[in-house]
Formats: sequence, structure tokens, C-alpha cells
Amino acid sequence: MQNILLVAIIGSVAGYLLSLFYRRLGPIILLLISLYAFAMLWEIPSNTAENFLGYDVLYLTTLGKYFALLSLIVFSAYAIFNIVWIETLKTPHAFNALSILTLAGTLGVFFTTNLVVLYIFWELTVFASLFIVPMSKSEAKRAAVWYVTITAIGSFAFLFATFLLYSKFYTFDLVEISRNLSQLPKPTIWLVVCSMLTAGIAKSGVFPLHVWLRNVHGKAPDTFSAVLSGQLVKMGSYLIALLLSIFPVTTLFPHFYGGVNILSYILIWLGNVSILVGTLMAIKQNDMKMLIAFSTVANSGYILIGLALLDQVGFAGGLFHVFNHAIAATMIFLSFAAVVYRTGTTKIDELGGLIHRMPVTFITYLVGIISLAGIPPTSGFISKWMIFQSLVSRGMFVTEIFVFVGSIGSFLYVFRPLAGVFLGQLKSKYKDVREVPIIMQIPMILLVLVTVFFGVFPGQVLEFIVGAQKEFGIDAFQYEGTKLITSMGYWDTWIVFVMFAVGFLIAAVLYLITPKGKKIPLEDQYTSGEFLHNFDLYHYASRFYAFLEREYGDHPSLENLYASLVNALKSLGKGIDYLVSRTASAYVFWLGVILLLLWKGW
Amino acid sequence: MAVAARVAGVLLTAFFFGLTFEGIGRKVTARIQKRYGPPWYQNFIDVLKTLTKHGWTHGWIFDFGVVMALGGVIATLTFVPLGNFVAFPGLDNFFVIVYLFTVGALGMAMGMVGTGNPWASIGVARALTLMLGYEVPYLIVITSLLYNFKTSNISTIVEIQSVNGWNIFRFPIGALVAFICLQGMLGKEPFEAPIAPAEIASGPMVELSAKYMGLLMLMNTFMEFVEISIFVDLFLGGGNYFEFLLKYLTVWIFAIMISAVLPRFRIEQAVYFYWTVPLLLAFIQVFLVVAGM
Repeated sequence: MQNILLVAIIGSVAGYLLSLFYRRLGPIILLLISLYAFAMLWEIPSNTAENFLGYDVLYLTTLGKYFALLSLIVFSAYAIFNIVWIETLKTPHAFNALSILTLAGTLGVFFTTNLVVLYIFWELTVFASLFIVPMSKSEAKRAAVWYVTITAIGSFAFLFATFLLYSKFYTFDLVEISRNLSQLPKPTIWLVVCSMLTAGIAKSGVFPLHVWLRNVHGKAPDTFSAVLSGQLVKMGSYLIALLLSIFPVTTLFPHFYGGVNILSYILIWLGNVSILVGTLMAIKQNDMKMLIAFSTVANSGYILIGLALLDQVGFAGGLFHVFNHAIAATMIFLSFAAVVYRTGTTKIDELGGLIHRMPVTFITYLVGIISLAGIPPTSGFISKWMIFQSLVSRGMFVTEIFVFVGSIGSFLYVFRPLAGVFLGQLKSKYKDVREVPIIMQIPMILLVLVTVFFGVFPGQVLEFIVGAQKEFGIDAFQYEGTKLITSMGYWDTWIVFVMFAVGFLIAAVLYLITPKGKKIPLEDQYTSGEFLHNFDLYHYASRFYAFLEREYGDHPSLENLYASLVNALKSLGKGIDYLVSRTASAYVFWLGVILLLLWKGW
Repeated sequence: MAVAARVAGVLLTAFFFGLTFEGIGRKVTARIQKRYGPPWYQNFIDVLKTLTKHGWTHGWIFDFGVVMALGGVIATLTFVPLGNFVAFPGLDNFFVIVYLFTVGALGMAMGMVGTGNPWASIGVARALTLMLGYEVPYLIVITSLLYNFKTSNISTIVEIQSVNGWNIFRFPIGALVAFICLQGMLGKEPFEAPIAPAEIASGPMVELSAKYMGLLMLMNTFMEFVEISIFVDLFLGGGNYFEFLLKYLTVWIFAIMISAVLPRFRIEQAVYFYWTVPLLLAFIQVFLVVAGM
């Protein structure tokens, strides 16, 4: 582990220097480091302790290994895509160096259970990614401020809890702390656990700290959004999973409803609200990257609900959902990056009909959304199924409403870019657009294969999940080969996939034996008898769900609330500024104060 | 081999009885509206005729969407129990069926929007919104049943009903909610806004011709078959193969009769309706289940 971290940190410097000569070397170095780390990490057994620069601080849990391997998959895809995409950036060397540093930071977070080391690597990640965010658009500077502010709320709370625990136990080791945690008084336990969870909540974009995702995902460099949504947000989920499973949460907190303790129940409610907010906001976005940013909020809610259930099926579902969402979000953001690379816009209603020019990008997006919406035979369905089964078996019907709204709502919002960007009329100004270069297609195709493969054969992912569950003393999820078993019944991914193929085959045969259709151009349409001159306008993309958006148009907004808090702080600052300035009225004010104090006799 | 025979049995049942019942449904609608109506085998004629004509296509996504729609629905259909006749015993998990079902719907939506006609997009947007409306109360009611019986296998619930009596009598409120939602799933009036022929030119179907129309007619028949079958299995006790078909026909005719006399909700009215009355009733049902009444 030490070698991996050192290689990544040194590689960051090397990446900077080499990309000064040739900018494409940076992503290649990132790719090589990712592949090296993946190969090394695969061989390291879990529960290995190691030194880092002479300090005994590194400890690899199965959970950490699972997240680290997943991150490396995301980073590899990102690196391959960047080899060509890097030419669109003004500062490629800094971008390369910081990308590699981000990787080093996240791997460090997954490799330790020492709270201070975890905090240092956590801040290293935030620091590195913070400077990447404003690299392609100048208006993204404000987004970076949002990002660092919200993350800082979480990480300062985390640091506070760390030192509070140190003052009680004189150790930073999480495993040792969790053994003795029950000795603390109840309010202190609440304070510590909640402060630490805040870091995870802020990072994973769960309500009420979800407000940074829209601007940061939406305005960050196009490929980096894939890392933000597919990997950095998962760091928050990792922290939540680690804390919930390593602390004896079920014994520390009293039981509340359906076999769930009160802390988990509060977290489940945060997840519920995240799902609702994320889904409803995603439905009304016209910017495709912001749309998926809100979908990330909703999916972080799913992950939180799954993890907070802390049981055989739900916890496994939450961890599996981390994998699915990471891969799906990466696919979707990479396909968007491809679209922007060719067309230069992210507005859904400015695009249209790109399927006729960019079929590989379209297929990547399609498989990505099928997985995101949880439709078999992709892996996205498995995790949703597990979370549903767990909720139903506990009779948590109110949570089910939110989960189902999120699930059906995801069909709505993922369809909006599908219809607006890829389907429909091809805009005349994009008539000459071509598919992206082959190097950009490679990671997209690989991720498609990964999603479908693990949807049919989830065994390898489940092995890690079961390992993580056993490590923390949770009942392990049951599966035999491709058969997934819960107390409420089972299903078999392989048989579903085979029947899927059979259904397709029957439909394809029917299609082939019937007379062939004649190809007609897109302009040959039913137009209600009108004669159209401009088919660019014959495309339904803006305000796609207007009839639904109207119903919740005037909703309260946390973003505005936070913005008004900022404004209040600013005007307070201005007031103080005014009072300490050397003007006549300030002079009179201070004179008045002093006279008042004198008169009162102080 | 027995599995293949059972799968073929399910598919052929859906094909013959699905189309026959649709024909009978058209006859019933006609009689309610004081017309004579087409013969009961009219739908066979329609499908076969459309399948033998040359059509027009708007590109590969249109063709692929049609194949995906029909293929996805066929795959779903094979997991649906017809009373006690099950192709894959033990694998008829409710959530798997519900989510497999969306593959077909997605295929159709994608293919139709792929034609480039905005009417199709409007129809699909409406269909998805309507889905957001009816799925929530529907899933709440069905999961309260699953919670009650501690299983999510549909055929297990069918077996329990053959001992304990039909669920429609034990859970009358739930059955009512599920039936209201079924009306939305079938796309029958008053929840017919997605295909509203006179308003948005039949929505998704606007650019269909010849064999594409025929394949999607088949898909629609199979979809209806899945939806009504799940209702019959969960609430009307399933029964053996012939009892099942009789119950199926009853539910279908009932739905047709309601749709023949009602006008159409606007789409946001439909969603508003589903999220108020049926959702409230669904929670009364949930309360009764959790309280053990």
C-alpha cells in the first residue's frame, strides 16, 4: 500500500513535468499508475497492516479494498478518455498533476483506519480536486467556492470529533476507539458520531448538504465530472459505511422501528429527502450535466438508505449500489463529455438527433441510464432489488414511497437527455458532427461491458461485499453463483438474462421474416398537415415535463436559503467595515457608545 | 425441455387469448356505444395484415426500439404465473417482473422518439409522468401484500390464496387501489392522455406503419396480459389454468366497460388523483396490514 501511495504522489510530480513537454503523457501516466495500483492491490489480502513513511498507520479493510478497486476502474476510464480530450484544456500540466494527486488522496483515505491520516488524505483529495473544478469554465470559480465551503463543514466537524476522541482515549485508531466508545456518556456519543457522519454526508451530497453538486458537477471540466460523481462522491459513502459498520451502532443507539435503530432511522430520512429533492430537481433541469448531478443526489440517498439499514440484504444493496452508480455515472458523464467535445454545449434543447452521428456515445449513455434506472439485465437492478427487499421485509412503507418515487422518477429524468440530445430531429448545425476518436470510445465500450457483465455475473462484486459484511459482524448476503437469495425469495440473474436473449431472438426473428421497411429521412414526418421549412424547431426538448414541473414550480430552495445566509454575513461584514472606517458618522457612533458606557458607570 | 414447453405455453396463451380477449373487448365497447362492432377475431386479422405490409422506417434506432420493446415484453411474460401454471417456479419475483417490464416500455419509448416526431415525444413524456402517478400507490399496496405474506414470489401468494381464500375479500381496499392503478397501466380511459388520438395524434404511435405497427400491437397485447395476470394472481386467487383465464376475462371486460363510458383526465389531473385518493387508500391498507387486521 505504501508503494502505491508513494508511486501516486511521485507520479503527480512526474505527470506535471512530463506534460510540460507533451500534454498527452499526463493521462498516460495516470492510466499506468491506476493499472499498477489495481494489479498490486488485487494481490494484497484484506486486513493487512503496513507502515507509511515509518509510521504504523495503514490498514486495509475489505471495505477499503472494494472502494479502492472501484475508484481505480473509474480513474482508468477517465485517464484513457483524457488522452485525447486533454487538448481542449488551457492548463493541461496542472490538470494532470492534480488528477493524479486526487487519485493518491482517495486511495490514502481507503487505506487507513487512523483518523488523522484519514483526515489528511481526505483534505489532500479536496485540495487537489478543488483546483481542477474551475479549469475549463471561468464561471466555475464560484462553484469551487461552494464545493470547498460545504466540504469544509464536513471535514471540520470530522476533525473536531477526531480530537474530541483523542482527548478521551489518547488514540487515533478507529478500531480501538470503536471498542471503547460505549464508555462515553450518551450525548458525547451522539455528538461524535453525528460530527463524523457529517463529513460523509457533505461529501456524498446528501440532503441538507447537497447544494454543491449542481454547480460543481455542472461546471467542472467535462471528464472530471465523471470522477466527481463516480468516485469522489463515493468517498463520502465510504466514510458513512465505515463508521456505521465499525461503531457498534445497533447497541449504542436504541431501537426505533422495524429493527432499525434511531440513528439509522434519521439517516434513512435524510436519504428519503435526498431522493425526493434529487429526483424532482433533476426532472426540471435543462442542462444535462446538472440533471445527472441531481440524480447523484438521489442515488446517494439510495446508498445511504441501504447502508443505514445495516443488515444482511440492505447493507449489501447499499454497497452494491455504490459500484453501480459509480460505473453508471462515469459512463453517463463520459458520454456527455463526448457530446460536448463535438458540439460545445450542455443545454439539452440546443441539441438533438445525435444518435445518427454518434452511435457509440449514444449506446454508452443508453446502457448507463438503464443501469442508473435499475433495469435488468444491467447491474443497477441488483442493488435496487436488494434495497427493496430489505425495506419490504421490514415494512418500512413510508420510506418505500420515496424509494419508489425516486426509482420511477429516474425513468423520467434519464429520458430527457435521451430524447432531447440523442433522439429526435438532427439540428442542421450538427449535420457534420462526427463520432469521437477511437481512444475516447474505448473506455466507454469497456464500461458498457463491465455493467452488463456484472449484471449477469455479480459474483465477484458480491464476494467483496460479503467479505466486508463478515469483517464487521453483519450477516453475510446469501448467493449461489448467479442466484441471489433473501428471506423474501430469490432470483437468478443468469436465467433472466437467458430469457431476455430468448425474447429478443423471438422479436428479431419476427422482425426479420416480415417484409423490410423502406428508409425515409427524418424530415418525412406527420406534421398535422402543416408545411414545415425549419425542422430544427420540430423537436420537443425544452420544458419536457412542463405539465409536471408546474405542480411543484414554487418549491422552497435550500440553495437560496444558503445564498441568503451568505448575503446576511456579507452585509454584517459591510456594517462592521463601515463602523471601523474613519467617517464622521462612525466617529459619532463610537463616541455615543463610549459616552453611554461612561454614563452607565463602567 | 419441460421449461421450454412451459415457456411456449405461456407465450401462446398470451398470443391467442390476449388477442381474442381484445377482440371481445372491442365488441363490448361497441355494444355499450350502441354499435355492432367488429368480429371477435378482428385483432388477429389486424396483426397478420400489418405484419405482411411494407412499412417506413426512420433509421436503426426505430427498428431496434421495436425489437427491444417486443423482446423485453416477451422476456417479462415468461416469468408471469398464469394461475398455478408457472414457467419458472420460484423465479416469479414481483420486483423482477415489474422492472423487466420497463425494458419493453423503454424500447418502445426510445424507438418512437427516434422517429423524430415531437408528438411521439409528448406522448412518451406523458406516459412516463402517468407512470410516476400510478406506480407509487400500486407498489405500496402490493408491497403491503408481500410484507403480509413474507414473500415476494407471486406463485407463493397464489398458493396461499387457494387455502385462505381470495385476497380481494381479505384486502378489499388494496384490491380497489390496484384496480384503479391497473386502469392507468392499461392506458384506458380516464387515464388515456399518453395516446390521446384526437389530441396528440396517438402520441407514440404517430409514425408507425405496417409491420412496426403489427409488432407493437403484439407488444401491447402482451403488456396488457402481464398487467392483468399479476392483478388476477395477487387478488383473485389465480386458480388453475382455465379458472385463471375466466377471471382474466372478467377483469378485462370490467376495465373495458369503465373505459367505454369515461372521458379523459388531463395528465397532471391524473397524477394528482393518483397521489391523493389511491395513495391515501393504499396507506389505509398498509395500516390494516401492519396492525394485523
